[in-house]
Parts: sequence; structure tokens; C-alpha cells
Amino acid sequence: MRPVFAFLLLALLCACQMNSANVNTNGEDETDNDFAEFDDDFVDASYDTETAENADSSRGAGRESYIERQEVPKKSVSNDDEEDGLVENDDEFEHFQDEEEFEGYDAGDTMEPPIDQKTEPKLKIPNIPLHFRTHWDSYWMEMLMVAGLLAYFANFFAGKAKNARLAQLWFSTHKALLDENFALVGDDGKVENENPGLIKESESLYTLWCSGRTCCEGMLVELKMIKRQDLVSLVAGLMRPQLDQVHIKIDLTRGLMDSFVFAVGSKKTITKIFKEYTDLSKFCSLVAKPEDRYNVPSGFGVLSEIPEATSAILESRVITALNKYQSYIDYLHISDQFSGQIQQEEGNTLKQPETRPVLLAGFNLPKHAEMETIKPLLLLIFYLMERLKVYRMSKEAKAKADKNRLRVEEEFLKSTHAARAEAAAQRREDKRKQEKERVLAEEDPEKQRRWELKEQKRQAKKNAPKMKRLAVKSL
Amino acid sequence: MNYSVDPRRKEKINRYKAPKNQGQGGGANEDMMPDYMNILGMIFSMCGLMMKLKWCAWFALYCSCISFSSSRASDDAKQVLSSFMLSVSAVVMSYLQNPAAMTPPWAS
Repeated sequence: MRPVFAFLLLALLCACQMNSANVNTNGEDETDNDFAEFDDDFVDASYDTETAENADSSRGAGRESYIERQEVPKKSVSNDDEEDGLVENDDEFEHFQDEEEFEGYDAGDTMEPPIDQKTEPKLKIPNIPLHFRTHWDSYWMEMLMVAGLLAYFANFFAGKAKNARLAQLWFSTHKALLDENFALVGDDGKVENENPGLIKESESLYTLWCSGRTCCEGMLVELKMIKRQDLVSLVAGLMRPQLDQVHIKIDLTRGLMDSFVFAVGSKKTITKIFKEYTDLSKFCSLVAKPEDRYNVPSGFGVLSEIPEATSAILESRVITALNKYQSYIDYLHISDQFSGQIQQEEGNTLKQPETRPVLLAGFNLPKHAEMETIKPLLLLIFYLMERLKVYRMSKEAKAKADKNRLRVEEEFLKSTHAARAEAAAQRREDKRKQEKERVLAEEDPEKQRRWELKEQKRQAKKNAPKMKRLAVKSL
Repeated sequence: MNYSVDPRRKEKINRYKAPKNQGQGGGANEDMMPDYMNILGMIFSMCGLMMKLKWCAWFALYCSCISFSSSRASDDAKQVLSSFMLSVSAVVMSYLQNPAAMTPPWAS
């Protein structure tokens, strides 16, 4: 602010000087006018009224310099008169110097002493811009904003630390179990594994990659925390409570599991993922009354493709675990046809998305950081993996699954038929253009002529109406 | 749920590969908050600078804070930094032009 103030001061100084020059000439005019309108009243006018009048007649910033000039040491009348005489250089006004004629005029005249050119008048700026005089109280909104920012950053550091602590707690609780099951626990993907442990994706998302186990290629654990570092999200969370979650994604070895798609989880999540994931929406149907059919706890939903496989997965041990850890289990999703989420721009894709067998799971973390309580859930995952390895469907179920896959593929081909035809036409057209360019580039006119003839023929054939060839019998 | 056989297989180790569509808004799991806040912050900064609306400049600062706090580690730090700089400059410029206290939008 200081340079700005200095700049403002400088600008004001310049303005004052310019105005003082103006006032100087104006002042002279006024004096002339005063002389023109000179009357006896003026003679009787007191010093104060004169000052007031003159002050009123001057304008804007000129006023300041005008008043300032009053403070300049007064010059003698004779000097003033001399100068007046010099400026006007007219004998016509000689009678003005007659002191008897102008009683009390001197007093008025001293009001406007000439500016000494050698010594700069000392300027005081009384007219401080309005905002400098405002009190700090008026900046209450700014203070509120700054306080808000401080609160935000304080919360940012606190939330960040808490998320990091929770993630570390989860990792330390499960580390022994993970080490028992995987040859590689914690990988950052770099050539040298610099950071064997959790990878921080963001302040509220930590990932852990484990690999080197039978049945699977790798397991990705995502610890999705509440965004504690973001105050706005925390406030939003008051309205729509969220939980810390663990998402486990296991890439199963190809050929490990039989072909079926299945999901179980809380009803809310199941309806959500039913719409979101391609494999679930294409192969599965929502099971009505799963509590009676598969004995899942109430509040759980089941998406099933092959009922036989579903009941094989939801056997007594799994049902016991589901009942016991109902509040912690969000969903379990097993699929041999996993291809991610439904793509919005599906019309543009001509190739069927690549599918792979996966086992997905989502768990809620306990509210009071008792990580030991959810440790058996990881065991459940390993158990399910082993179960998928040994479970084989019956022939009928297998046939049904194959039929389903064929149906989905046909549907896909049908839906993209027009697009594929268009793409093929485009390819043909490109090929023809290339050929044309090649022929035109050649210097042999005979070849070009031949090609044009051929092209004309082709065009004519293309444009000709299609009709059946009639065999003419020879009579 | 216990196994007697050691399930670990060293020969089956696969190194971690970061998901390809990361940072491009590929999936619904992808958190789009930092991007939205970045854009919102930029719009507010521009409003603050062009229309000399102080509350816009302040909101821009908040937006860039949110964008910063929820950005991914793999995200480009430059983007967050530029958003921050823009919003800070919007605040500074608006107060340089008119150091008067801010009037809330509902008061004017």
C-alpha cells in the first residue's frame, strides 16, 4: 500500500501545482473582476468575508493550494504593487495605488500574496481520500474471509494428519496378514521400489498394491477416507454422512473361475453399481427377496446371473460373515466379464471392451478406528478367492452362461452395425483417394486415361438401378 | 478360513501400474472436485479482475484452496499454483484499485 500512497501523494502534488498555476491566473482575473465590480461595499468588507468569498470562488483542489498560500510569509504591499504594476504594465490603474482611495484594501490584498518562485510552497494535503479515514471496523468482511482461510488451513493440516494416521493404522493392522499372503506388499511402480507401503494418491486417498499370490495377479487396496482436509466437504458431510472406506480390487488369474457374474451388498450400493457397471447391467438381474432365497441379512441386495453359482458363493460361511459384519460390508462383486464402468460415448467404440475376471469388495472402516474388527474381512476375501478356484458349475449352468455371453456379444455387434458399416465405407473411400492420387502423380497419360475410364465405369455401375438379370431364352 | 499351504508365489509378482485413465475423469470413482474448483476459481478470478467484484476475488481464493486440498498427488502442481496466483492477484488488484472495504453482494 505504501507505494500506492506515495504515488497518490505524487499525483496530488502535481494536481495541486497545476491548479495553483490556474488559480494564480484566475486570481488575477478575479482581482480584475473585483476591480470591475468595485464598489463601496467591497471597501467595507471585512477580511473574513473576503476570505470566504474567495475560497468559495476557487474550485476543487485549487482550494487547498489557495488556503496554503495564506500561510506563505506575507510580502510587503509595495512589492505586491510593484509586481502588479509589472504584470499589468498599465498606468490606467495607477490610482489603485492611492492608499486613501482604498482603505482596508491592503488587508484584502495580503490574502493573495504572490508565490515565491524560488522557495517551493510547503504543501499540506488536508484532503485525504475517504478510504484512508475509514476505520478497521468497516473491513469486517475481509477479516471474516481471512479468518475463514485460516480456519480452512488449520483444518487442512489437522484433517490431513488424521487421514494419514488412520491409513497407517489400517496398514499396520493388516500388514502381517498381507505379508503371509503376498510376496510383494506395497509397490509404487518405480523401477526400484522406493516406497514399500501405502502410496498417497491424495490427502484422502491411499493405495496399496500387493502381488505374488496364487489365484490372482495382484490386489489393489484403496483407502478412501472422508475428505477431512477439506472443510467444505466436512460441512457437506454433516448433511450427507459419509464413511471411511476400503475398496479392494483383485485381478484374478484368467481361467481361475467359472464364467458367472455376481454381486451382493447393501441395497443402496447394489442399485448404484447395478446401473454403473457394464457387466452387472448386462448379465445380472436383481434378485427379489434375497433374504428368503439366499439368507442374506435384511438390507442386503443380490445381483445374480446364474442362480446356481450365486447359491454356491453365498454358502453358510459367507452368510455368517455377512451377518456378523453387516455394518462393515458395503459390497462384494465377482465377475469374469468385468470391463469397468459404462462408458458414456459407447456409440463411438467399435470394439467390445476388454473383459477380465475380478473380485471387488468395498468395506466401511469402523468409526472409532478399531481396525482389528475388520481384519476378518480380508480373510473373507482370501477365502472367496480359494472358493472361486475350486468351484465348478454344472453343465447346464455353464451352457446358460455361454449363451448369455453370446447374447451380449450379438447385442453389441447389432448396436454398432451402422457405425461399423460407416467406418468400412470410410476406409474404402480413403483407399480410393489414395489410388487416385497415385495415378495422378504418374506421368503416363495413357495410364491416367485408363484409370479414369475404369472409375467412370465403376461410378456408372454404382449409380445404375439394381435389377435382376434376366436370362433370355433363345428361341 | 485358514490355509495350510503357503499361498505366496514369487514368480507371480506383477509390478504396480497406475491406472491409465487417471486424471482424465475416466471413471465415476474419479474425484472431479479439484477440476471443478479450478475452473470455478478461474471464473471467479476473472469476474473479480474484470468487474472489480471483491467478493468474487475472495471466492476465487477459496476455490483454489479447495482445489489445492483435494488435488491428487499425481496432478500437475503448476495448475494448482497458477490458480492460486490468479486468485491472489485478483484479490490484490481489486484492493489496489479500490482500497475501500468490501460490500457484500446482497448489500449493493
